[in-house]
Amino acid sequence: MYKNFTDFICSKQPCCIRKPLLVMKLTLILLTATFLQVSAATYAQKVTLKLKKATIREVFEKIQAQTSYDFLYNAEDLKLAKPVTLNLENTTLKEALDVCFNNQPLIYVIENTTILITKKPVVPIEKAVKKTIRGKVTDTSGMPLPGVTVREGNTQNAVTTDKDGNYNISVADGAVLQFSFVGFALQEIPVGNDLMINVRLKEINTDLNEVVVVGYGTQNRANINGAISTVGAKDIGDKPVLNAFQALQGESPNLIIQQNTLDPGSNVVVNIRGVGTTGNNDPLLVIDGIVSQSSSSLNTINPNDIASVTILKDAGSAAIYGSRAANGVILVTTKSGKLNQKPTVTYNGSYGLQVPDVLVKKVSASDNAYYKNEALVNSGLPPAYTPEQIQQIASEGTGTWDINHLVYNAPQQSQNISVTGGGETNSYFVSAGYQDQMSNFIGNGGSGANFGYQKYNLRLNQTSIIGKFKFNAILNYTKSRNKTNSVGDNNIIADANRVPANYNWQDAQGDYLTNPVASQYNEYGVLEKGGFNQADNDEIFGNLNGTLTIIKGLTLTGVFGGTLDNNGSFYDRKEVDYIPEGVYGNDFAVIDGNAKSELFNTQIYANYAKDIKDHHFNVTLGVSSESYSERGFQLSKSMTDPLLGTSTTGTIIDPVNSTNSIAVSANSLLSAYGRANYDYKHRYFLDFVFRVDGSSEFAPGKRTGFFPSVNAGWLITDESFMQQFRNVLSSLKLKASYGVLGNQNVTDYQYQTTYFNYASAYGFNNVPVGGAGTYQSNPNLTWERAATFNLGADFSLFNDKLTGSFNYFNKITSDILQAPSDIPLIYGAGPADANVAKVKDQGWEAEVTYTLRSKKVTQSFSANIANDKNTLLQLTGNATQEIDNEDVFQLIRKVGQPITEYYGYETNGFYQNQADINNSPKPAGAVVGVGDVKFKDLNGDGVINAQDKTELGNPFPQYTFGFTYRIAYAGFDLTVFIQGVGKRDEFLRGELVEPYQANYGATLYEHQTDFWTPENTDARFPRLAISGSASNTNNWQNGSNLFEFNAAYARLKNVNLGYSLPKSLTKKIGIEKARISLIGQNLATITSLKFVDPETSEFGNNVALNSTSTSGRGYLLPIFYGMGLDLTF
Amino acid sequence: MKLLKKLFIVSLVSTIAISGCRKLNIAPTDRFSSLTFWTVNANVYNALYNNYSLIYNDGLYFNEEAYSDNAFSSSGDLTVIPSGNATAATATFANDWSNYYSCIKSCNEFLANIGQNTTLPKDTIARLIAETRFIRAYEHFNLTNWYGDVPLVTNDITPDESKVIPRTPKAQVVSFILSELDAAIPDLPTKDQLPASQNGRITKGAALALEARVLLYQGNRMADVVTVCQKLINDQADYGTYSLNANYTDLFSNATVNKTNSETILSLQYVPTIRTWQDFWDFAPLSVGGRVSGMSPTEELVEDYVMLNGKGITDAGSGYDINNPYVNRDPRLTATVVYDGYQWNSEGGVNGTNKTIYIKPGSDPSDTPANPNGPDEYVGGRQSSSPTGYYWRKYFDPTAQINYVSGLNLHLFRYAEILLDYAEAENSLGQMNATIWNGTIGALRTRAGFTDPNALAYPGPGDITTIIRRERRAELALEGLRTDDIRRWKTSEVVLNGYAHGARFSGDLSTDNGYIRAQKRTFNANRDYLWAIPSGDVSLDKNLTQNPGY
Repeated sequence: MYKNFTDFICSKQPCCIRKPLLVMKLTLILLTATFLQVSAATYAQKVTLKLKKATIREVFEKIQAQTSYDFLYNAEDLKLAKPVTLNLENTTLKEALDVCFNNQPLIYVIENTTILITKKPVVPIEKAVKKTIRGKVTDTSGMPLPGVTVREGNTQNAVTTDKDGNYNISVADGAVLQFSFVGFALQEIPVGNDLMINVRLKEINTDLNEVVVVGYGTQNRANINGAISTVGAKDIGDKPVLNAFQALQGESPNLIIQQNTLDPGSNVVVNIRGVGTTGNNDPLLVIDGIVSQSSSSLNTINPNDIASVTILKDAGSAAIYGSRAANGVILVTTKSGKLNQKPTVTYNGSYGLQVPDVLVKKVSASDNAYYKNEALVNSGLPPAYTPEQIQQIASEGTGTWDINHLVYNAPQQSQNISVTGGGETNSYFVSAGYQDQMSNFIGNGGSGANFGYQKYNLRLNQTSIIGKFKFNAILNYTKSRNKTNSVGDNNIIADANRVPANYNWQDAQGDYLTNPVASQYNEYGVLEKGGFNQADNDEIFGNLNGTLTIIKGLTLTGVFGGTLDNNGSFYDRKEVDYIPEGVYGNDFAVIDGNAKSELFNTQIYANYAKDIKDHHFNVTLGVSSESYSERGFQLSKSMTDPLLGTSTTGTIIDPVNSTNSIAVSANSLLSAYGRANYDYKHRYFLDFVFRVDGSSEFAPGKRTGFFPSVNAGWLITDESFMQQFRNVLSSLKLKASYGVLGNQNVTDYQYQTTYFNYASAYGFNNVPVGGAGTYQSNPNLTWERAATFNLGADFSLFNDKLTGSFNYFNKITSDILQAPSDIPLIYGAGPADANVAKVKDQGWEAEVTYTLRSKKVTQSFSANIANDKNTLLQLTGNATQEIDNEDVFQLIRKVGQPITEYYGYETNGFYQNQADINNSPKPAGAVVGVGDVKFKDLNGDGVINAQDKTELGNPFPQYTFGFTYRIAYAGFDLTVFIQGVGKRDEFLRGELVEPYQANYGATLYEHQTDFWTPENTDARFPRLAISGSASNTNNWQNGSNLFEFNAAYARLKNVNLGYSLPKSLTKKIGIEKARISLIGQNLATITSLKFVDPETSEFGNNVALNSTSTSGRGYLLPIFYGMGLDLTF
Repeated sequence: MKLLKKLFIVSLVSTIAISGCRKLNIAPTDRFSSLTFWTVNANVYNALYNNYSLIYNDGLYFNEEAYSDNAFSSSGDLTVIPSGNATAATATFANDWSNYYSCIKSCNEFLANIGQNTTLPKDTIARLIAETRFIRAYEHFNLTNWYGDVPLVTNDITPDESKVIPRTPKAQVVSFILSELDAAIPDLPTKDQLPASQNGRITKGAALALEARVLLYQGNRMADVVTVCQKLINDQADYGTYSLNANYTDLFSNATVNKTNSETILSLQYVPTIRTWQDFWDFAPLSVGGRVSGMSPTEELVEDYVMLNGKGITDAGSGYDINNPYVNRDPRLTATVVYDGYQWNSEGGVNGTNKTIYIKPGSDPSDTPANPNGPDEYVGGRQSSSPTGYYWRKYFDPTAQINYVSGLNLHLFRYAEILLDYAEAENSLGQMNATIWNGTIGALRTRAGFTDPNALAYPGPGDITTIIRRERRAELALEGLRTDDIRRWKTSEVVLNGYAHGARFSGDLSTDNGYIRAQKRTFNANRDYLWAIPSGDVSLDKNLTQNPGY
């Protein structure tokens, strides 16, 4: 008690010695104090004061009468005092004085038995009285928490707890202490008189208070009624990938990410909730509030710069983006600084090797000769190799002509540094990044750097607060370069694979060899010397925005932003000579191109939030304008200088492919939008969202669209009848939304007939003449519309340890924009797009997170899984199906079925004996033998013909899932991420499937050796037969599910094992945090598809019937092994 | 503060004003709208030349050969169609159909809109219309030739109209073609009236040559064929001066003669390095710059070339030596086909060298035990060398760029064909005589390099149908007319049933006397004389019927 008392006085002292007069008085008091022997106990003396509008002097007299205290004051000062009314019974002296001096221009100080009265000093805030507060921070179980940030209010004054959880901070009187720690709820405690503040922080197991970016504003997660997923920086930045989409794969249910090729720098295919339209399925991408022209714009962002990604899946949440939101919206928010945050420098880097996963293995050349003989004999032809020749081939051993000799373990690295911080009125985030993924293919094409992809990023995010005005500027510059080979991955892989194993790329002298199979190219030579294809991209992104708080709750925001893009391309083909025959690139073709685009987006919106008792309103209204234009040129020449690629004598300009205006397009959009959120008691929620868009893509009268949505939510656990379950079911919110969204993704200008002139259409007398072509038009073009119904639930259980959400959706897209598929070829031209088809997409998605904390170990399990099924409801007009030949098999679009399916015959095993052959229906004219493929006669007419063809599965990934496990223990942390597809059919063709395909494939692969023989009657493949034979025609030229493979997989996508050095160690060298890590990517895969990577898709984003079928000739999956270093200063 | 606020509002408003109020009516900057396009004379010519560019193409031109007994190709539909396994879904049927109707669309758009041009002289417009009507007639001819009854599209139809258009009987299509050509002829110039710069434009002669072909193909219009051919042969002052070029090979390989000669009536026009074709890359032997063997001549074609004495190789006293089969043969064999031991002359071009082509297995002096087969040798199942043991020489371009990028013209109508049409028509009318022979077959043989009087003299009287047909095959090989001929003669069911053979290199004398069996072919006479109407169009156009058997 005494200690407190003295402390109390001491803490007041500094402000008491401001004025000379006071100093004098104090001296007097101190003298007095030495004379009067009093105990501290007197301080606890009680008083009873009952006064009405008394002067303060009367109060003093009453107190003096009841206690042993005297008052010391300047009479002049007391004149300032206000009358006092008191009704205190048996109150401590201090309490009585506090009441008495409340709102008085005077203050009191107790010195021993003297109460000193002085005028209240006029003190600026920074000169406020300081208090030192101490305490201990623990978790709910009482374990001390080291490293907790303890901050004084909205100031930069902050300390962290020591290893025992203790802190000591000096703060102004009346301050509020904020305790924050990752994984724990922020706690704020106002400083009262207690100088010891012990705090128990509550772990956060629920993200209901998370602020989510929802488009033209933010919302608390608890208030959201739509289907929204978020992915945080941690889930993105930890992965060794250069493309942010790759980092998002598997992180959110029904955010489906596939790739046509894994070549560094290549684009990905993104679908939200699968494929819901036969038109364009690209989601809308919004980066820092600016709407992108294409979802591939995310490629240029440094994944480390991303703070969060919000995925708007349903119409309820996406309606604010109206005409382009039918396929969902991806909102990317980049990192920014925080106010009152001391400068922090963060470095993170990783370096590792990518080991190419070579899945195809040839059989030995001698085995191949043996198999080839078998194929020939089965085809009724004499064998090609004598036993002696096979012996001879066996003795030659294995050559180098394979993929393994065209690839190497290529390095990949990422280096990022950022500085972030903030003061009272401004904050900043500055980052620089360098990412480099080398291609696994050897060589550099003859000059310059090896093949690969590099990206450089510079980002600045600055916020200033000027009174009621907040100004934010974001600038990003990205430079990227992608250098690839000049011949194409497909050709390289195919040529490397299709040649028997006894051939070599080079002879002893290093000459490049050709052989009877690959007479055209030697890909080893092409990679080393045959030139390259290089893409250079420069992109500047800017966003200037300001928010003005007009009155409390009402803000006005203006945004101006956009992207300037410059895409350069340079293709340079060089000569490579082969032995004994053949040459590559002796046309010395050089193609130089450049395209520039500019995108501008201007927005103004107002937001008004108002609470009236338990009614909470939040209304946003805004307008926006977007415009995009691009223009490019290309120059194509051949017979250029063999070394430089420059023009020289004999250089020929290719007038058809040289043009000064390519990719010329422009479009614009004017919009108004709004959102009204209402909730009662944070228990019943109702939103209305709309957007009106006017688009340049459509003719006047057809161009304006209105896209509304309505959402409702009910936090059922807040109801009294649910309280009984609260100890298990912490929260449960039911949600529903319905809305209509649009899709306007069509080629520009299609509503008007246009004519284009082009060069060298024809020629007369050796002089070329130009031609003119027509773009067919459709003046009736208008929006594609998607009506989506969403039903969902967010829940948390066991005191928020288990949280999750579930959503069911049903989306019907009509007036789908695509080329009508019911126009016969007789029409004579590609018809303009029209609003033709209708598709239903139905599905669900679920995600769940379980967090387990013990005193030393923190673990979390997150899983998500999703499924959807699309159904074609209308194709075009009355057409019920459309079939397209896809090499040897077919693709079909049929009303009532998934929108794209494989089509052909259903196999029925193999002919096992002659009786089987005699008794089975066969394709007309087919001559088959034992071991050939038997087809099902589905219509039972005794013959196999087109009427027996049927749907054989679809390429849509189903049951897509992701699973993340995290564990942290004593400085160690581990993240394991698994991602996969539960069900997917894939049809593959080409030499990897059909043995000796078209005489193009000249060898067999190990995965093909499971073919029918009298001893292996239950084989995967039919008996061997060469191309052109009756057996081959029956087995391989009749498209059937012989070509079908199961492309389901689960992949150990990412493992990150880190160790953070003890802070006590790192502090000594000025490092706040140091973490080293081991990183692995694509470490293991479970799949039944063994010779082709199951992750790569043959389809683009609209799964069109005329997509190219895949021959499994894609870039190899890189398996990454590396190390990372994170430093924070 | 207040100033800042004002500044903020002003800047917002101005950014909206600058960038926000972009019009929603955006006109393309690299194209013309329908309002202005046709009023510009240069555009009208461009539209015309677009029609020209769609007349035909090198792919159609050379592929035709593979559907006939002249050649074999192991790729795609070129294999499937002669094998007899084609269906209504066969891609080529749809692709070719689409090609022809695309050109018809372009022509109809032209004819529908050229009236908007008021600045070109009337007779110029009349000529441009006549050229376009010729092209549209030619496309319909190709269609009816392959598919029989076809939709006759004479105006710029809408997508909806295309869904209900029915087939027009072939006879009606043919009469439309003939009437269009008759209507066009007065407005077309003669070849002699063309300035050099218009070399390649459609002429009166071209229209007559097409008429002759159309009539010949009908089989029952031989008298009309005679009439039309006589116009071209006898009325040259009215219809243009034509004669045989002195050298057969030069027509296909000499860059100057190929473009300017008295024999060409109409050619697909190419321009070196700018508008080119590259099919020969897959025709030439590998050792002289070929890539793969895409299509190769058959033994059947090679055998049909007569001996220098005019006799067929199987005729008594022909002097044919099965062990030395390529000597003393019609010089056009060497001008057309590369056979074993061929003396290849690159004529100074960048492709190939002067060398002997070794095709017979084991004949190449460069063969070693390690590399037992030279690049051009016949090896069964090998992609790089010919599956028939023959390669092509006709249309070899010594001036081609690397990889046989050629700017030579491909002849659609030659005066030689008119002479053959004429001979065939007169013969079928029973009017063949020595004079006609001398002016036709005799003249062609003389030009080809025959000197033996036995080959040049009129072999009649008697049935010389085989001789005329053989002559037509030898003269016009690789010019895309053989399939037409065997179809109208109704001999496809004979020559396209059984094996297509290659040279006598199979090594198995017990099978077909050692001739390579390149492909087993089947021809269904009840079906295959017509291609299938593409199944897609049959399903989309409810009034479109299918040909029998598909």
